[in-house]
Amino acid sequence: MNSLIQRFAGSSSGIELQKRNATVVDDDGELSDVMWGSMAGFGSLAKGVPTFTVPSVPDPAAFLRLHTDDHADPSCRIKIQHGTTTLAFRYQGGVIVAVDSRATAGNYIASGTVKKVIEINPYLLGTMAGGAADCQFWETYLGMHCRLHELRNHERISVSAASKYLSNLVYSYKGMGLSMGTMICGWDKTGPAIFYVDSDGTRLRGDLFSVGSGSTFAYGVLDQGYRWDLTDEEAQELGRRSIYAAGHRDAFSGNSCNLYHVKERGWEFIGNYDINKLHYDGPGNGQGYGYEVRVEGKTSAVAA
Amino acid sequence: MSSFNPYTQNGGTILAIAGADFSVVAGDTRQSEGYNIQTRYAPKVFRLTDRAVLAVNGFAADGNMFVKKVKQRLEWYRHAHAKDMPLRSIARLIQTMLYSRRFFPYYVYNILGGIEEDGSGAVYSFDPVGSYERETCRAAGPAQSLLQPFLDNQIYFKNQQPAPGMSHPTHLPLQAVLALVIDSFTSATERHIEVGDGLEMYIILGKGRGLQGLEGVKGVQELTISEDGERIFVVRRELKKD
Amino acid sequence: MDHFPTNWGRPRNDMFDAYGTYPIHQRPDNRPKDTFADSVQRTQQPIVTGTSVLAIKFKDGIMMAADNLASYGSLARFKDVQRLHPVGRYTVIGAGGDMSDFQHIQHILEEVQIAESTQQDGHELGPVEIHEYMSQVMYARRSKLDPLWNSLLIGGFKDGKRFLSYVDLLGTTYSASTLATGFGAYIAQPLLRKAVEGHEDDLTAEQAQNILEYCMRVLFYRDARSLDKYQIATITAEGVNISGSLKLQTSWDFAENIRGYGAQTQ
Repeated sequence: MNSLIQRFAGSSSGIELQKRNATVVDDDGELSDVMWGSMAGFGSLAKGVPTFTVPSVPDPAAFLRLHTDDHADPSCRIKIQHGTTTLAFRYQGGVIVAVDSRATAGNYIASGTVKKVIEINPYLLGTMAGGAADCQFWETYLGMHCRLHELRNHERISVSAASKYLSNLVYSYKGMGLSMGTMICGWDKTGPAIFYVDSDGTRLRGDLFSVGSGSTFAYGVLDQGYRWDLTDEEAQELGRRSIYAAGHRDAFSGNSCNLYHVKERGWEFIGNYDINKLHYDGPGNGQGYGYEVRVEGKTSAVAA
Repeated sequence: MSSFNPYTQNGGTILAIAGADFSVVAGDTRQSEGYNIQTRYAPKVFRLTDRAVLAVNGFAADGNMFVKKVKQRLEWYRHAHAKDMPLRSIARLIQTMLYSRRFFPYYVYNILGGIEEDGSGAVYSFDPVGSYERETCRAAGPAQSLLQPFLDNQIYFKNQQPAPGMSHPTHLPLQAVLALVIDSFTSATERHIEVGDGLEMYIILGKGRGLQGLEGVKGVQELTISEDGERIFVVRRELKKD
Repeated sequence: MDHFPTNWGRPRNDMFDAYGTYPIHQRPDNRPKDTFADSVQRTQQPIVTGTSVLAIKFKDGIMMAADNLASYGSLARFKDVQRLHPVGRYTVIGAGGDMSDFQHIQHILEEVQIAESTQQDGHELGPVEIHEYMSQVMYARRSKLDPLWNSLLIGGFKDGKRFLSYVDLLGTTYSASTLATGFGAYIAQPLLRKAVEGHEDDLTAEQAQNILEYCMRVLFYRDARSLDKYQIATITAEGVNISGSLKLQTSWDFAENIRGYGAQTQ
């Protein structure tokens, strides 16, 4: 009853105009005084937590699915970029994180140079699988809170705490349509650690994970090559080879492999490897991952 | 119950290319809806600051509103900090503004082009909910699948072998880039119904770079006032109207 | 956990429960319920509607035309409706679409003008301001998923400059020297463009009126929701002038020569 009175009663033109202007001024850009002065830089974060505009329909999640979910309906118009194969594993020398670099929007390859490893801070890495914007935004936000934790507690945040922060945050949006499958990797007081966090609210500690549409291909290579006592070179090679396998066989993965190594003092970027080059020329010591094994010894030329 | 669809598609195509010390952001000027051409001149590329230009494509009402909001935030920044926002910060700002509408997205594909703080040309491309990446060139819109492969070949030299003993240049000169942009749009106009009518190119030049590359280009209009900082020029061309 | 890798990294569809693990997680809707207010409907379909509006720029200003019909579905219900509305001394707004929403728009424009005039600062609202205001209102209503179901043409002449622009229920705006809404966009716009594009500064008022009359006639022949009674609004330096109702001269003689409808073969 109240809302009806608010909407339809009151007839002076001043009140009417104020109400009319209230429809024009939208909810995500409050014209309050905090927008000026030193708060002006904070924008939607001015209240301390991010605020989101939600459409005023009975089922906002269904609305979002209708317009953006190209898995359920490939003819939806708003194509959001999705990331696809990522992996991380723990071994005696730290954590290896390897990702591909392809982003697809529907069936279009939107980019072949996406950075799917998000550098949260110099000793924590997050991977991106699922909605690219969701991962980029929330992991940047996580980085902010990891820094605040450092300042408040005079100590680096543990990987467990960081991943819990992220998973609790994402759980509060459960059911609304976020799509995120990320691995938070780092080295803290307990040693190297990897936590898988996804937008359903799952949070799992583990030694070896692969996420994304090409993960089954990556698991194949990863599982047969994994040991705790790999050397650094072997571990990096394993990561690279697994991403190559996924990029080769999964249509939504490919382009190049970005390889990171998390050590005690922090993470280190190992390199970017073009997957096509890996197929023919390998990582640099001659043998192509896919080419030589298939054509070696097969030739129609008569042996000299 | 809700048969009202708050989105529509207004066609058109945008493109941006970054050089060593300049950036070019271009868009056609046709606005259409379905098979109707609504107007032959509806600009899609907007100057934000003396060193940043934003092109928007997708749903025109969302695009125009988004540009207004970005300009407002940049004005607040200018008042609070007594300087213009640097380009990479504008890119991050656009991410947070787009993401704040994660559950009711702006149906807009944004491309931000301009000069970074270190003087290099930069292009940032965004998806409708805010994921972004810095690149050398990007095409967006209905004709993106016609333009992007062409640009991959001509700018990144993909699937091309250099002449023996030579290597591909890392950056192209301004004249070559302008020619590529015009050729891209004339080709897209031929093959895509939603592209045509007119082309508007914004050229952002780094500080102290001088005007080489712009000699001989007809109809160049300057938007910036002083000659000392970054400079922005607009060039308009006609495209086929059918 | 979803065991199918092709589903990983894609928005989750909670409606489809692959493992029969009821109840499906739904966000509980704990907002206080006000069933009386909730049953108030939002505009999801237009009820009493007006059809096309046409407008062109000519030498001295803007000319706009619209017929006098408000249809109730296929019934030609109200045949003396004015779909061109003056706003202040410099602007005319023409509307197609839901007529009750248009009446509401007229009401809020009235209030905007009152608020502006009480400022008494010598400024008056011109077509540019009216267009900007309407495009913000229409976009805001669309963003609340409660649109004003109209396609509006806003035309005017102020400070020696002509202005002509379009806003619709989605907040889409555009400007050109010839505009047409509804059916007019398909039938009249090509005729208007042929006659006007390139000649905006040479077209006299008489020529402009003839073109608009011609297009209104074609529309009456072909648009099943149109009427042969219409008005023309002219906005020039002299101000706004909305004509009385004009009648279209039409000829239906050709009907006698038609052969072949239904059972008729001779």
